[in-house]
Amino acid sequence: MASRTNKIRPIRKPITNRDQSEFEPCWALLRDAMTDIHLQNAGRLSFEQLYRASYKIVLRKKGALLYERVRDFEQEWFRDHIMPNIAALITKNLINISLLQHPGSSSHERREMGEKFLRGIRDSWTDHNRSMNMIADVLMYLDRVYTLETKQPSLFAVTIGLFRNNVLRSHIGAAAEDIEQDFVVFDILCAVILDLINMERDGDIINRNLVRKITAMLESLYETDDEIENHRLYLTLFEPRYLEASTEFYRKECEKLVQEANCSTWLRHAQRRLNEERERCGTTLSIMTTDKIASVVEKELIEAKLDVFLAMEGSGLKPMIDNDRLDDLSILYQLISRVDSTKSALKVILQRRVRELGLEIEKALKNTDFSVAGAAAGDGEDAGEAAEKAKPQTLNPAQQQTAAAIKWVDDVLQLKDKFDRILSDCFCDDLLLQSAITRSFSDFINSFNRSSEYVSLFIDDNLKRGIKTKTEAEVDAVLDKAIVLLRYLTDRDMFERYYQKHLAKRLLHGKSEIHTEKEMVSRMKSEMGNHFTSKFEGMFKDMELSKDLTDNYRDHIASLGDADYKMVDLNINVLTTNNWPPEVMGGGTSKGEGAKLDCFYPPEIKRLQESFYKYYLKDRSGRVLTWVSSAGNADIKCVFPKVPGKETGPLSKERRYELNVSTYGMIVLMLFNDLVDGESLSFDEIQAKTNIPAPELMRTLASLSSVPKCRVLLKEPATKNVKNTDKFSYNAQFVSKAIRIKAPVISSISKVEGDEERKETERKNDQTRAHVIDAAVVRIMKQRKLLAHTKLVNEVISQLMGRFKPDVPLIKKRIEDLLAREYLERVEGDSSTYRYLA
Amino acid sequence: MDATNGNGGASKYITLVSKDGFEFVVLREATLCSDYIRGMLRNNMTEARTGRCELQDINGVILEKVVEYFHYWYKYRDREDVPDMEIPVENCLELVVAADYLGMDSKPH
Repeated sequence: MASRTNKIRPIRKPITNRDQSEFEPCWALLRDAMTDIHLQNAGRLSFEQLYRASYKIVLRKKGALLYERVRDFEQEWFRDHIMPNIAALITKNLINISLLQHPGSSSHERREMGEKFLRGIRDSWTDHNRSMNMIADVLMYLDRVYTLETKQPSLFAVTIGLFRNNVLRSHIGAAAEDIEQDFVVFDILCAVILDLINMERDGDIINRNLVRKITAMLESLYETDDEIENHRLYLTLFEPRYLEASTEFYRKECEKLVQEANCSTWLRHAQRRLNEERERCGTTLSIMTTDKIASVVEKELIEAKLDVFLAMEGSGLKPMIDNDRLDDLSILYQLISRVDSTKSALKVILQRRVRELGLEIEKALKNTDFSVAGAAAGDGEDAGEAAEKAKPQTLNPAQQQTAAAIKWVDDVLQLKDKFDRILSDCFCDDLLLQSAITRSFSDFINSFNRSSEYVSLFIDDNLKRGIKTKTEAEVDAVLDKAIVLLRYLTDRDMFERYYQKHLAKRLLHGKSEIHTEKEMVSRMKSEMGNHFTSKFEGMFKDMELSKDLTDNYRDHIASLGDADYKMVDLNINVLTTNNWPPEVMGGGTSKGEGAKLDCFYPPEIKRLQESFYKYYLKDRSGRVLTWVSSAGNADIKCVFPKVPGKETGPLSKERRYELNVSTYGMIVLMLFNDLVDGESLSFDEIQAKTNIPAPELMRTLASLSSVPKCRVLLKEPATKNVKNTDKFSYNAQFVSKAIRIKAPVISSISKVEGDEERKETERKNDQTRAHVIDAAVVRIMKQRKLLAHTKLVNEVISQLMGRFKPDVPLIKKRIEDLLAREYLERVEGDSSTYRYLA
Repeated sequence: MDATNGNGGASKYITLVSKDGFEFVVLREATLCSDYIRGMLRNNMTEARTGRCELQDINGVILEKVVEYFHYWYKYRDREDVPDMEIPVENCLELVVAADYLGMDSKPH
């Protein structure tokens, strides 16, 4: 039986006249039964009997007649029993209120009347639906055989459809004579439902079940008896009107909100409305509408005035960001994601705000720069802290600028933290927004022309100042932050230059922990690649080799057993010229050619130098060592004899101190060894004897004569600034509580460059860039042989992206230069193409 | 018997009666492969209330086979590779008529 393919038909019994006469009794039976069914009096009927009656009729080929009779019967039933009830429901008042929207009726009144009408419709529908189901069951055999064969709509479809034709599509009769328009009952039905829903939106409580019953009815009725899925009355008649009415409702609501509410209220309101509408579709209407109504709300309530709300003073997106209103931002993100997958409205304002805040940092910085130490104290923690420390001495401009640099970096990092938090807490780590924010950060950081220097200074400050008191995790955090900033920089070659300079100072003066330094550099390496850190690594290597060298040299001297040299303990750093910044290598930034001449060392030192040089060359012949006197320092043990005439106090005893000074300081101080008490040396004399460059000498003398804790020299006159005419003498009355005294080594403080220095740095950097571009062009052309101008430029830019952002005019200039130097030539007839000349 | 307690809806079984008076008590669910019985049971007419249906045109032999099929269908309704049911040749014609009457030619619900 399972594999049967052909339809089994009833056995044809011979048709006789007798069959003809059998129809009427069967029909009479069925007709009475249908009446009983309508009157809800079916309990006494026998299903078998009725089924058999219809079976017989169909077998006797009278299906068509039965089909017709049933339909006519139902039609009559509607006319005689149902329509009067419906007509009674449609009162003049109902029409006035629902269709003509006469004013002066309270919502309570309207609701009562509407629900009464709906109940009436629902009751006749329920009855009709139940009866039709029952009749369809009884006449099942008719459908299974006759209806199917003749391809007509099922009896159920036809009879249930009668409700649509007779009730919903019936014209409003006597009750509405004075209405010109031609309304049908459905119009009232629809208007009543829409009115009820609007009441609910306004906060009234309505009978949801009742409305749901009616919409369910509309869902199960179709436009025609063919019952095409998309032609459900709910979809064809009700839903469009519902969406239209909702559009109207939300348009008005949104306009009202624009007038009366703020952005925050609007956000919550919109979110609530979305939830309400979704819920309404589940409980009151149909889930088929869920998405459609959501898009109405999105369009009318969210999208329509989005820009206005976002721009609202005091509650829009800007204050949300500024005041960290994370809840608002979360809702905003969710809403915007619904209406616009690119989130452009949010993105644009967000980016603008990032840039604005970035520029504000810069602006605040300028204010700090120009104000004196006192004003800086109230401005941000770091600047304040730095200012406080230096307050008694009034902050010198360089220190102040350094503090400002650190403040800038701190502020930028804080800003970054802020937006990171917003991104993860409110924007679900949206990639689109993340990259937008990153771009904005990069924009403002790079538009600030000192960012490379400041970032390097920030690292310098953290590695130098804090690191010893910081835990592993804190150090990690600082390094991470530094790397974050580094990622934003486009002029990485500038950063490299500054970092090299700052690192050199830290290494030579032992200001930081080598372990942390290496950690930092290794992070940079993984972030930016090998070429970026090769110099830094070279510097570390130099330092390590130098340490070994020093030890070996010390052993060597000890083995010689020459007592003379034990007097001076040499700690040497041999630096490879390429790896270290020229400033450190004695090139000097602003000293010009004079700096090339070495200063005159005292004979003790001279001997030491020669001894070391000899030792050094033993294994490394052919190398040249240049002594960089500006970068060294020395520990001097000094003895201050008892001051005659003082019997009490520290001056009455002999005092021994260990003084740590720069190499220059040592040279200067040693001059005074040969001096008789009371004699003095003038600035010019000192310079002549030492050949130390004047600016350096001024700094050295200032540190030895004006800072109270290490005033071992007396200056005449006793002013702050050192002048060419000043005289210096030995301070016999020097007293200090500490045994070890460190003279401030001014050059070891990394500070912001002055404008002069800066121009110099930029000039050098541009020079280097020119070379780098040259190299890139040649490299590319060597490989390609023939290349068009624009392609070449693009290739160069993409190759150098990781190091800096080359500007096109510069590239063009370099190409012209290379043409002139005959590395390249223009191709004849096509002047925009180059050929590589081997 | 449960099936005749006046409220057939509560019982798991219904009673089918043949033309010649044989009664078969069948698991209600097993009869649902017949559109006829399905329609009968969901409307509140005499049979639905009593759980008893007198089939005026089907004799005992045929109804027995129909009932056998009900249980066969019920047992194997969710399975594949089911064994064939034995249909005696002499009853074929009448069985086909009965199956047509009972609406058992449509896909099982």
